[in-house]
Amino acid sequence: MSLQRDAMSHARAEELIARERVEGISAAEQVQLAAHLSECGRCAESAGATAKALRALRTLHVPVPRDLARRTQFRVRLRAQELQLREPRWRLVWLASAASWLFGALTAPYVWRGVEWIGTNAGVPKLLWQVGFGVWWALPAIVAGVILLIENAGRATDRDSIL
Amino acid sequence: MPAFERLTALFSTLMADDRQTLVRGLRQRDPEVLDRLIEQYQYRLFRYLMFLTGDRERAEDFFQETWVRVLERGQQYDIRFKFEAWLFTIARNLVIDWQRQKKMHSLDALMDENEGPGFEPSDETQESPLSLVLHGEVQDQMQTVLAQLPVANREVLLLRFQEELQLDEIAKIQATPISTVKSRLYRGLADLKRLMAGGAA
Repeated sequence: MSLQRDAMSHARAEELIARERVEGISAAEQVQLAAHLSECGRCAESAGATAKALRALRTLHVPVPRDLARRTQFRVRLRAQELQLREPRWRLVWLASAASWLFGALTAPYVWRGVEWIGTNAGVPKLLWQVGFGVWWALPAIVAGVILLIENAGRATDRDSIL
Repeated sequence: MPAFERLTALFSTLMADDRQTLVRGLRQRDPEVLDRLIEQYQYRLFRYLMFLTGDRERAEDFFQETWVRVLERGQQYDIRFKFEAWLFTIARNLVIDWQRQKKMHSLDALMDENEGPGFEPSDETQESPLSLVLHGEVQDQMQTVLAQLPVANREVLLLRFQEELQLDEIAKIQATPISTVKSRLYRGLADLKRLMAGGAA
């Protein structure tokens, strides 16, 4: 019975030693653990080994290559300038898209009638001229989408060449 | 109000002000703010990337690319989270993208805990790139130990015990449940302890 209780407390102590580091333990558990460690050499050794391993991990030094920060700052500044130059162009694209969409929405009833008249007189099937109207209406969004895709493809190529 | 509480309140206000300045700087793509951040986080980011890739040159490339992403996506930074957590997430995603391009499914696949380190060179006669940048007696031992750990466990050990991030922050970076982070930490800690004591991998 005593042996079983001892084995249990070793396991529990091991669990608490790890849990204390990983997620923390309660004050009561801390007292319980401290009491056990003061009596149990094996668990005290294990707690010491954990502390030693973590100390070694914490003091591990990875030297940063010289000039890496400076080189990065330079590259980031270049990219910032590039983005700044692109910004007015983008603003123009969005403005044009918005104006186009607004104009499209306002004139949609007239264009619909116009397309319907042309379609009917030319003998074009109803579905075809209706699709034509849809394409005309979605044109600004399609153009903006294509521009975005081209832009992203260009950026992906830039990145691939870097990495 | 007791002096300690006043000090804590002052510190919190200063931290909040600092984060506000940071957010404004990131949104405006202020080069001065970015320069300061690069200086401030250079060691921590480079160390994290070294832990992830085990390759100095790759880590340098990812370091630069991470900061370019920070510039481009500055407006996506959420003030509720620590800046370093966001920074590490960007860096990690870049490494995953790179791995995907190399026909890997994800960093987790690469870091399968039963598969070993993955990143380390298989040629044992050649010194690992990680070893080239780590010096000192204890550091040599630690470097040997770390090279034997799966990358996922190595990463959580760094984030928890060097960066001192909370479990939920690590879970966010690794895009995994907290329970996975915990199990990786327990396993990583046990392996670290055993290997430091001279046990086999």
